[in-house]
Amino acid sequence: MVLKVFFPQCCNRADSGLLVGRWITGHDSAVVLAVIHYPFIPGQVKQYIQQMQAQSGVELTVLGSWSLPKEGQEGIESFLRDLSTIFPQERWLQIRRQMGKMGFTCEVLNRHQSGGAAQEKAKKKKNEEEEEGGGDGEEEEEKVIFVHYEQRKVMLSQIHPIDSGETDDKTAAPELKQMFQTVARSQPLFFMDKYDDGPLKSTHWQSDGREASILVELMKQASVPLCLLLSWLLNMWTWICDIRIFSLLPLRFLSSKLSTCVQLSHRTEHMRTLSSPKAAASHTLFMRKANILVSVLVDVALGVLLIWWLYRDDHIAMLANMLVPAADHVARKLEELLQWLMGAPAGLKMNRALDQVLGRFFLYHIHLWISYIHLMSPFIEGLLWYGGLSACLGLSFALSLLSDMVALFTFHIYCFYVYGARLYCLKIYGLSSLWRLFRGKKWNVLRQRVDSCSYDLDQLFIGTLLFTILLFLLPTTALYYLVFTLLRMVVVLFQGVLHLSLDFINSFPLFAVGLRITRPYRLAEGVKFRVLCEEPGSALHLLMEINPLKCSTVVQTYRTPTYSCYPRDSWAALVKKLFVGELIYPWRRKTTKAD
Amino acid sequence: MGPDGAPGQAVPWRKVLWERQSFPDNYVDQRFLEELRRNEGIRQYRYWAVVKEAGFVGQQLSCVAIFITFWLYMEEGLLTPETLLWTSLLCALLGYGLHQALTSQTDSCSEPRTRLADLQSAAIFLSFTFGFSPVLKTLTESVSTDTVYAMSAVMLLAHLLSFPYSQPSPPGSLSLNAALFASVCLASRLPGALHTFAMLSCALLVFALWPCLLQRMRENAPCQFTGMCVGVCIGGVGGLGSQTLGGAVLLSLALVSVTLLCPLLLVWLQRHKDNIHGPWDEAEIHEDLSRFLH
Repeated sequence: MVLKVFFPQCCNRADSGLLVGRWITGHDSAVVLAVIHYPFIPGQVKQYIQQMQAQSGVELTVLGSWSLPKEGQEGIESFLRDLSTIFPQERWLQIRRQMGKMGFTCEVLNRHQSGGAAQEKAKKKKNEEEEEGGGDGEEEEEKVIFVHYEQRKVMLSQIHPIDSGETDDKTAAPELKQMFQTVARSQPLFFMDKYDDGPLKSTHWQSDGREASILVELMKQASVPLCLLLSWLLNMWTWICDIRIFSLLPLRFLSSKLSTCVQLSHRTEHMRTLSSPKAAASHTLFMRKANILVSVLVDVALGVLLIWWLYRDDHIAMLANMLVPAADHVARKLEELLQWLMGAPAGLKMNRALDQVLGRFFLYHIHLWISYIHLMSPFIEGLLWYGGLSACLGLSFALSLLSDMVALFTFHIYCFYVYGARLYCLKIYGLSSLWRLFRGKKWNVLRQRVDSCSYDLDQLFIGTLLFTILLFLLPTTALYYLVFTLLRMVVVLFQGVLHLSLDFINSFPLFAVGLRITRPYRLAEGVKFRVLCEEPGSALHLLMEINPLKCSTVVQTYRTPTYSCYPRDSWAALVKKLFVGELIYPWRRKTTKAD
Repeated sequence: MGPDGAPGQAVPWRKVLWERQSFPDNYVDQRFLEELRRNEGIRQYRYWAVVKEAGFVGQQLSCVAIFITFWLYMEEGLLTPETLLWTSLLCALLGYGLHQALTSQTDSCSEPRTRLADLQSAAIFLSFTFGFSPVLKTLTESVSTDTVYAMSAVMLLAHLLSFPYSQPSPPGSLSLNAALFASVCLASRLPGALHTFAMLSCALLVFALWPCLLQRMRENAPCQFTGMCVGVCIGGVGGLGSQTLGGAVLLSLALVSVTLLCPLLLVWLQRHKDNIHGPWDEAEIHEDLSRFLH
């Protein structure tokens, strides 16, 4: 049997005393958390341990005794050995170290053996094996391995993958996770430093004095009233949004389509997470709050930078003056395109009558659109000015506003696309059905297959006429559909790029990545062991170093869930939809799911 | 391993699979293939009967030729659309009268169509064709002439190949549709919308209504049916001959080969028929399922 003892590095040179820690359930290991020095009163030790157990919730016990004899401290070993009777335990560790030597020696006493017999047996064994030395225990030949760990780093670190909802059942938890959790939750044990005037003196990582930063304390004090203010503001805002007039159907539909409104509601949710005044209960919640806070701050900073650039040197007026000529230019280009289609585009033969009809129809639409833009042109500068102010809420708002403006300015392209697609879809549908009639077959809706059918004379006649007409008009419609679909795809791509960058800003965990770069021990994937000393006369000593998480795993684990836009269809489905003429809305919005 | 290979056995060989016998597995005795029958149930064709049936095919060929003649006349301008329209109307009325006369003799139709339903159908045809004829006129404007001729030829060929010669009365979908498609393609080449309308009405008459009348005649007046077939063939050849002599020659050659040569070939090649039947054939159900239809 191998017994693992996790020993903190800060206690390597501690004075002799009692070891306080925890036995890890389900495994053959113990974690040493602190050393309580001689002299002490056992009753006070017991009281202190119970107090600490109540405060921290960890099952602390006295694990054994530690002796590092200095000059003038002989005879302490026997005293320490007698202590095993005062603190009755299943197993009692006796760890000894000589000054100048690197290795420890350890004896493990089991409870069910009588104290005296055990001591005699131990002494006998030691006499026999004096030449060989060795840290072996009793007749079970227990080997002991000392794993040294840096207490402060392990206390702050969080081992991944984090599983939630498994707090009570510790029997099945793996050893490392239990060890990390024990150290992390024993924080009350580390509050007593050497300047305290209490009855007990202990050694742990903070025993040289507790450090605290003034800034952190000030921010902690200031955060409570800030959170209260924020939650009050949020309540006001939600009250305004819930006014009846805003839940009318057209406004609701519009607000679900405009990405600015979506982004606004999203940020409101984030602020709501941030504004709860109590501290985060678990590591995941803490990381999420921190990520949201840092991302909001960075967003606002970038937004303010954008505003500073926009409002100096009269950039707004320049943009406004550019906008109307740009819209005119786009419209003129569209008109030229339509004129080209109405001729003989690329040498294709179009049906002249249909061509003229469709071309004139679309030209009239463009004419309407241009009139509308010209009507709006005096107000554009004002709109831009006030719209630019919204960037003070964050760069993400500016991006979503830009996306909405692009959608509004290319609304006519969207309309043309819908007309063309509907016409084409109808044509394809009619053609496929009439082609079946041509061959004398019919679609069986019940069985979802094609069956033969005997048609009447009139059905056949009219069906063939319509089939001929649709077939010969197909190239014209298909060309218009193709042109407008391409235009629409260009606009959709541009909007998609904007949305993807918006999603990136919303969900990227800046805080977690920063933490990984500056303090990598806080996000641990596992540990690695290094052999410290392997002298034949003492137990094996290993040093445990924390293996930090990979950056890609950090991003994946701590991504804030957002309404991410990702492509709805695979490429094959998209091509098929294009071919048949179904309307394409390629970016699907995922609703946020509560964790 | 034949019958000679087996030793003289006291137990005779039985043609069963489930019993282990002392003979090898591929052993056959002298009763091998005695149940083989050759050419059982083949029909004996008589030349003139086959010629009479093949006449129907020739007749259909001539119908197509007559239609093409009309189109040629219209394109040359020798036939005005009004004339064609009035002639078609007259022929339709005559045909309808004949059809009704032949029907009243055999009163066992499954679904008697009323005069009103017929009138309704006629109204639908005429209104649709008239309404769509301007659209149909401009359909093939941008398609080259060669393509149009090629498409029409292919479609008419498909019509001839898929025509239900045995039962022309419910018109076969593919054949009628192919013929109408070809007629639309040809009609759209004519100079005016009225021409298109006239051509389509003529096509409807020739391809949709004429076979119904023929079917009635075949059922009820077989001798007149044969005479009618011959008349149509002569009309086709003559009509084509007035426009293109080469076409007439081709048509007569085709008619002769289909009506006279092919039956000769069929009858002559019967001698080479060699079907074998035996108890290994798939079972055919000869039950009369019509008793389920009542």
